[in-house]
Amino acid sequence: MQSRAGARVMWIYLGTGIAIFALMTLAGILLRAAQAGWIPVDPGTFYSILSLHGVGMIVAMAIAGLGTLWYLVRREIDLDERIAYLAYGFFIAGVVSAIISVVPGRYGSLWTMLYPLPFVGTYWPSWATGAWLIGNALVMLGFMLWCAQILGALLEKYGGVRGMLAIDYVFAKRAFTEAGRKPPPPAMFAAAITAFDGFITGMVGLVIGTALLVHLIDPSVAIDPLWAKNLTYLFGHSIANLAMYMAVAGVYVGLPMCTKRAYHTSPQLAVAWWATLLFVIIAYFHHLYMDFAQMQWMQFVGEIASYLAAIPVVVVTVYGGVMLVHRSGMRWSLGSMFLYGGMIGWVVGGIGAVLDATIPANIDLHNTLWVPAHFHTYLLEGVLLFTLGWAFVNLEQRADAVSSLMLRWLVGLGMFGGGALFVFAFYIAGAAGVPRRYAVEPAPGPLWASVATVGAIVFFIGFAICVFEGVRLASLPKSDVTA
Amino acid sequence: MNRRSIAATILLLATIAFALAPLYRSAVDIPIPVHHVLHAVMMAGTALAGILFAGSLARERRGGAPWLLVAMFAPVFAMILMWPSEYSYFELHPYGHIAEHLGLIFLGFAAGYGGQRYANGIGWASGIGIVAMAVLGVWGYGVAPTTVAPVAATPSAPAAAAAPNAAHGSVLYTQNCAVCHGVAGAGGEGPPLKNERVRKSLTAAEAWIENPAEPMPKLYPGTLSAQDVADVAGYIETLR
Repeated sequence: MQSRAGARVMWIYLGTGIAIFALMTLAGILLRAAQAGWIPVDPGTFYSILSLHGVGMIVAMAIAGLGTLWYLVRREIDLDERIAYLAYGFFIAGVVSAIISVVPGRYGSLWTMLYPLPFVGTYWPSWATGAWLIGNALVMLGFMLWCAQILGALLEKYGGVRGMLAIDYVFAKRAFTEAGRKPPPPAMFAAAITAFDGFITGMVGLVIGTALLVHLIDPSVAIDPLWAKNLTYLFGHSIANLAMYMAVAGVYVGLPMCTKRAYHTSPQLAVAWWATLLFVIIAYFHHLYMDFAQMQWMQFVGEIASYLAAIPVVVVTVYGGVMLVHRSGMRWSLGSMFLYGGMIGWVVGGIGAVLDATIPANIDLHNTLWVPAHFHTYLLEGVLLFTLGWAFVNLEQRADAVSSLMLRWLVGLGMFGGGALFVFAFYIAGAAGVPRRYAVEPAPGPLWASVATVGAIVFFIGFAICVFEGVRLASLPKSDVTA
Repeated sequence: MNRRSIAATILLLATIAFALAPLYRSAVDIPIPVHHVLHAVMMAGTALAGILFAGSLARERRGGAPWLLVAMFAPVFAMILMWPSEYSYFELHPYGHIAEHLGLIFLGFAAGYGGQRYANGIGWASGIGIVAMAVLGVWGYGVAPTTVAPVAATPSAPAAAAAPNAAHGSVLYTQNCAVCHGVAGAGGEGPPLKNERVRKSLTAAEAWIENPAEPMPKLYPGTLSAQDVADVAGYIETLR
């Protein structure tokens, strides 16, 4: 089923995602250095860079994850690569539109474009808001195209929703297996949940984006701010979370390649993914805890959904992953290191997220640096490591080569050590109540911003070494073992 | 013609008949949220008809990336077509309004048919998607809260006003004026401001905001800057 064309799609997506990630990391370092007082950056420029950094990171992680997932689905089902390229074209056009909005336009109301912020800026003209909204629409269209293609393929292959989600397998396992049927492999659950919830997320992103665009052109079209905030966070929170679920597919296939053991679908795994399917799109209610106009039942549902969307799938996946590695004699290459390390980052970031979603804790942590602390842990030390892990497992297997011990130490110290220092500074400042999204942070913010900047620089050095090593491995001739 | 095609044809004709309602009832009688729901009903009918039509095709005629594109673009165009300006020229004229409905009907059909033609199940996803977009609009697309607490804008230094920014003006209006003049100038304790441009020029509107008569509060130069006044006046000029 797999062909060179399929692998090409994956590497184009992965390469683009990693390249955007690298650029956005530099932007992030600049932001933290500005907050530390190391570099003078005026607030208007700060918020413009912050907007680009936010959208760039989300798009980078999503593109890399979509490429991986597309490739994994194509191992099972025939997919038309023209749609993958078309979706890619939409992503790139969206990114270009966002860059135009921010660089010459100086748009600065952040990637979430929360109403009415895009319309109250004094730093940017209204066309910059328009370019941002068009960029959002293009990215959402690309995402929906991708989701619809994967969803269509999975529904065809597994004979509808029941087969795709292994419902018969869970409720009548004996009859199911006696009939000689097999449930979808674990990576297909990640694909199904991403495609299903991603389609809804993309649609909601288009609704709010189009409504804001219409309001920009015709200001007499009123927008309800609470409605806009609900849709904004439904789409924003969900897409950030789906980036993780895309990357997890790499663990389901990559870890078995490292350990030479199979990662089987179990009823527990299927049920855990159902929980994510149902709850990931309503977990966003926790972003509106401070909005007293929001109906109260939504706040409680938000807390419960936050637990159910993340905890079951993390527990089942990580437990399965650890059991796979346990006594397997796995070789600690960069690929396996990243996949294993990513599970740790996922758990730590997840705990940070669950704490923030707990209403009594949220009273203290809401809109503090705790929020970027948890999602930077989740994205940097989770999604990115899974993505790099999957890429390196493939590169190492292709060349039948492993990086030297010295290089693994350097990358490990940089990406785990530097990354840990970077997010630690966020957590401490968040716990101390330093507000997020401030161009100039109140004390003790600047001190912790300095610590974070050092951590981010060390992280970036490790990341750069890792990228160069990836390029070296890719340039090695293909091994006879895998050829 | 199989049973699916017959059912789809009946559904399509019924929806087209429903879309001709503006001949009997003016759009301005219907609140925007209800209008969104009616659009959702129209698109639900034709999306379902599209799904049934595509479902009646032989399996080998399914597939094709262009159909997926049709299904994905249809909801975006529908969202734009549902532009809830109160009320656009299109909707004030019955035939214009019917043309808009026919557009929505076509897009609903395109979402259902295109999706299902591409792959089994995708028509349902895109069809439900296009209907859900219209339904979601009920709570906020062209609809704002009926009461808004006045919030003071950030005081800024007096400066010569540049060209009005109506988008910024709409935010300031919601914060400072809507509590009396109503959402989008619909009126309330204060007089309605729809079509105010017919009564006052931009300069006259600015002068009035700067020096209003009782009981309208004077917000300039304290709460509003010169630029804010120009923006609010610019926004009021857009109200129809």
